[in-house]
Amino acid sequence: MAIQFSPCSSSSLKHEINVYTTFIILPSRTCSSKWVCQIPSRTHPRKRFVLKPSNGHYLNAASLQDGLAENHVSKGNSNPLMAERSNPFSESGKTESSLSITVVGASGDLAKKKIFPALFALFYEDCLPENFTVFGYARTKMTDEELRNMISQTLTCRIDKRENCDDKMDRFLKRCFYHSGQYDSGEHFAELDCKLKEKEEGRLSKRLFYLSIPPNIFVDVVRCASTRASSKNGWTRVIVEKPFGRDSESSGELTRCLKQYLAEDQIFRIDHYLGKELVENLSVLRFSNLVFEPLWSRDYIRNVQFIFSEDFGTEGRGGYFDNYGIIRDIMQNHLLQILALFAMETPVSLDAEDIRNEKVKVLRSMRPLQLENVVVGQYKGHSKSGKTYPAYTDDPTVPKNSLTPTFAAAALFIDNARWDGVPFLMKAGKALHTKRAEIRVQFRHVPGNLFKRNFGTDLDKATNELVLRVQPDEAIYLKINNKVPGLGMRLDRSDLNLLYRARYLREIPDAYERLLLDAIEGERRLFIRSDELDAAWALFTPLLKELEEKKIAPELYPYGSRGPVGSHYLAAKHNVRWGDLSGEDS
Amino acid sequence: MSSLSSSTHCRSYSSSACPASSSCNYGHHRTAISSISLKQLLPRKVSVQSNTKARPNVVPIKDGAVAATVASIENETPSNKLGDGLLSITLPEEFKDTASFDINKDKSTVSITVVGASGDLAKKKIFPALFALYYEDCLPEHFTIFGYARSKMTDAELRNMISRTLTCRIDKRENCDEKMDQFLNRCFYHSGQYDSQNNFAELDKKLKEHEGGRISNRLFYLSIPPNIFTAAVRCASLSASSANGWTRVIVEKPFGRDSESSAALTDALKQYLEEDQIFRIDHYLGKELVENLSVLRFSNLIFEPLWSRQYIRSVQLIFSEDFGTEGRGGYFDNYGIIRDIMQNHLLQILALFAMETPVSLDAEDIRNEKVKVLRSMRPLQLEDVIIGQYKSHTKGGVSYPGYTDDKTVPKDSLTPTFAAAALFIDNARWDGVPFLMKAGKALHNKRAEIRVQFRHVPGNLYNRNFGTDLDQATNELVIRVQPDEAIYLKINNKVPGLGMRLDRSNLNLLYAARYSKEIPDAYERLLLDAVEGERRLFIRSDELDAAWALFTPVLKELEEKAIIPEYYPYGSRGPVGAHYLAARHNVRWCDLGLEQ
Repeated sequence: MAIQFSPCSSSSLKHEINVYTTFIILPSRTCSSKWVCQIPSRTHPRKRFVLKPSNGHYLNAASLQDGLAENHVSKGNSNPLMAERSNPFSESGKTESSLSITVVGASGDLAKKKIFPALFALFYEDCLPENFTVFGYARTKMTDEELRNMISQTLTCRIDKRENCDDKMDRFLKRCFYHSGQYDSGEHFAELDCKLKEKEEGRLSKRLFYLSIPPNIFVDVVRCASTRASSKNGWTRVIVEKPFGRDSESSGELTRCLKQYLAEDQIFRIDHYLGKELVENLSVLRFSNLVFEPLWSRDYIRNVQFIFSEDFGTEGRGGYFDNYGIIRDIMQNHLLQILALFAMETPVSLDAEDIRNEKVKVLRSMRPLQLENVVVGQYKGHSKSGKTYPAYTDDPTVPKNSLTPTFAAAALFIDNARWDGVPFLMKAGKALHTKRAEIRVQFRHVPGNLFKRNFGTDLDKATNELVLRVQPDEAIYLKINNKVPGLGMRLDRSDLNLLYRARYLREIPDAYERLLLDAIEGERRLFIRSDELDAAWALFTPLLKELEEKKIAPELYPYGSRGPVGSHYLAAKHNVRWGDLSGEDS
Repeated sequence: MSSLSSSTHCRSYSSSACPASSSCNYGHHRTAISSISLKQLLPRKVSVQSNTKARPNVVPIKDGAVAATVASIENETPSNKLGDGLLSITLPEEFKDTASFDINKDKSTVSITVVGASGDLAKKKIFPALFALYYEDCLPEHFTIFGYARSKMTDAELRNMISRTLTCRIDKRENCDEKMDQFLNRCFYHSGQYDSQNNFAELDKKLKEHEGGRISNRLFYLSIPPNIFTAAVRCASLSASSANGWTRVIVEKPFGRDSESSAALTDALKQYLEEDQIFRIDHYLGKELVENLSVLRFSNLIFEPLWSRQYIRSVQLIFSEDFGTEGRGGYFDNYGIIRDIMQNHLLQILALFAMETPVSLDAEDIRNEKVKVLRSMRPLQLEDVIIGQYKSHTKGGVSYPGYTDDKTVPKDSLTPTFAAAALFIDNARWDGVPFLMKAGKALHNKRAEIRVQFRHVPGNLYNRNFGTDLDQATNELVIRVQPDEAIYLKINNKVPGLGMRLDRSNLNLLYAARYSKEIPDAYERLLLDAVEGERRLFIRSDELDAAWALFTPVLKELEEKAIIPEYYPYGSRGPVGAHYLAARHNVRWCDLGLEQ
């Protein structure tokens, strides 16, 4: 039943249909998820806005009536690339454009599990432009049909089984092609360029390369793609994923190499944690509610905790990991990025550059991490109820004498006016007892608490805590003290909570969908700028070097446990307490 | 559940999970005995020891909330003073028995006399509350309940009458019938005139009989029309006061109908009673969520910084009933909704909400702060008041009567059954913040709640997402007192999905979901407080004066000018005038939004 309007369509008829349906739909918030998800998808309104600035039917305006809708980022107009992109449209609507997404390393795990499914989900949600092509590129010999077959095995119609699912899948697969080639071969990329041109049929060409390959061939691929397969008349963008080097020097080197072939605004460094729903929501919570911002400082916040845990080990894939370790793999990027978003000052606007400027300021105000503020751990084998779990060094891909940390806890400090003295604790580990990612904001105790006698001597027991659970079971809750109903005065910590599952029936889109869409749209808010990356490495590099030079032995902890107790002593040193191990939370 | 708990002697049992096993009950009685009877007579330590074993689930944190200064002067409840250390003392069995035996000699007793025992309030609220307290082992071991009224009745008839309204609240636990019988055996009736000293002297004799020489504490609950308050107090005080314990009198609204009559009543009562013998009940103060208001404010860091004009745009106190006077308009017509609900219940909540942090949670400290709020308030102006009266309405074939259709109401009555008002507190914290009150009968729902509307976010980065009406996007804290007790904070949140759509959702705490126990009735709490001499939730005479001072001028003006109320249909949302009143102060009633 869907009215198939494509975001890139210039048909004014279709456009009006879209506006019309928007008006119908907005008054009801409980409309079917189909429509709900179409209206907000930022492609439509913004592109339309860009498309026909003079048409008088601003979707933005329509949406505003509902008090819900559109995006801050439409300021993206001022961004040169966006302007560049939109010009050909606004001229006459005659020139159509075509988007090609080339997944370099198409036969890899990430491509199969994340990238192709995310692309399909975007297509399914009508978030991709009408003319688009997906190319897989890898060394393996494969036909288009084989690629399609491989992709289709992982595709599912997410959200719910809606109509047209099979139909959609078929149409998507028809847009998928494969090209086999070496990663360092200019020739092969030139061949790819020919194929791309064929599909583009003379339309304005926009090319996105997703590098899903090992870091040592990043530069080769970028060189070949840039010199041989760049778009001539549209844009060319490259998405790269961690690792971005393993310290300041190697990261700086990588950036320099990439910049030989690409301008900074062509490089999209993904940190998929920034695409997580609750991380996106962090700024919304802070900046669109009056009740949080006044509390967002050292006056009221005693410490902030960023916690990441996995309940499995390397499981035979330790080769890559062993070279990096948990600090580089999780802390220096994911957790630090969240920290920067959490702690930044209010940006001038929600534009990418404004936000990234603020994040860099936070990173640059931070004290480089000291060895005494870090605890490292490594999991060891453990037998429980007849089952044996392997140690990290039991992994055949890991050297027997490896000292690589699979767990780390750290205390960081931001030496600025807002956060002076507030410990930002991070904890990340593999093979722990739960799988979880969360942000915990622990507030100070109530000064001169009238109810202090109810709490005994441990005032910390009674502090408020705001928890953003990023995964699993997305939720926000605020721990408050509350009177237990009944005669007498007994206090109790209970939660003011918002469980996403209970309130939002829709499945939450995968982080990759959001980030791919952003890259297509040239929205850089959630990507990491090179100066951010430099600042991030500057904080961790001295420590990482020291750990390696001094060969600090990690504290061993059993597979499936709560991690090394050392992290408690680290917290204690800063007079705080881990909120996730307090016994209240499961 | 992690509980940061403290407890006030027997209360801890009711609020925690003490099973009603017999051993536990036994312990409770002992607890109660010692707490009431020992007072100054026995060293505290003994009472503590006698309690020790029987308090299995008392969390050893000294109670901070309920211990009142006054209480400690006049009626020490020793278990309030239980300290952490003392709790760990466990005595050998034989010594404990000895201690109990000693106590028995000097036991005290409490007699609760319900004056006006055949009335509606007594039947529906007071006796059931007393039974619930007994059921929860919160009454002292020796207690007697007397009904006093003019009707001729035997003890058995009274018991019969009471038993019809008794239920075992919370859940059907064992021993319910047995408990009911035990309770009814403590209930007696005495028939007498309210203004007859002789009749009260007879009552005194009967009370003495039941007291059996123990220290006698006497509580009179005046559940009678206000015109005979003074007569009953005179007789009770002169002829039936306790000789060696305390005598307290609970009175309920109306406390007069304006400043003068209220002051006259207070003067009259004070001829016979000291201020600290008078317990003026405002049963709204006994509501669970009203009690929780102070806990929320003062035991959480996150609310207090927001609790001022800088962040709060308006506070709304809303009370509505979904029925009219239904043939009982006689009393109401003389008072009207402003006196019946606003001047007392809503104003009391307002004072609690807006007060400065008290020095402690002691009754006098809290009441001092409340009086300060009331005295900082601007007397209500006529232009800040909207009054309404419900008219008949036919819906779905059912006809609902107008207020003046009530046979007990004069046909030309102008008495408001609805009122909305904007009040202001001219102090540093609240200058310029409108406190809106709304109370009405025969509206579309039954509800009591406190809504705190926060200001909009200055320089909101997300402005575009909300359009021009920033009101749509403000945070709101809602404390729903009834029904379905809940606390929730409306926040703006990103709708999950691609794109950036904002949505108002709630961070919430639904009591029914978290606390499976039934919440005790306000009367239970207040009766227990009166027995224990805890005055925190009762209204002091200077509070009462200050409250009347705010409302008396406007009440007089309304009556003198014979202001005609705005009519609204039975079952509607009330007169639209309320919206214009809110608009004048640039706020919006948030209970009538689409989201509700």
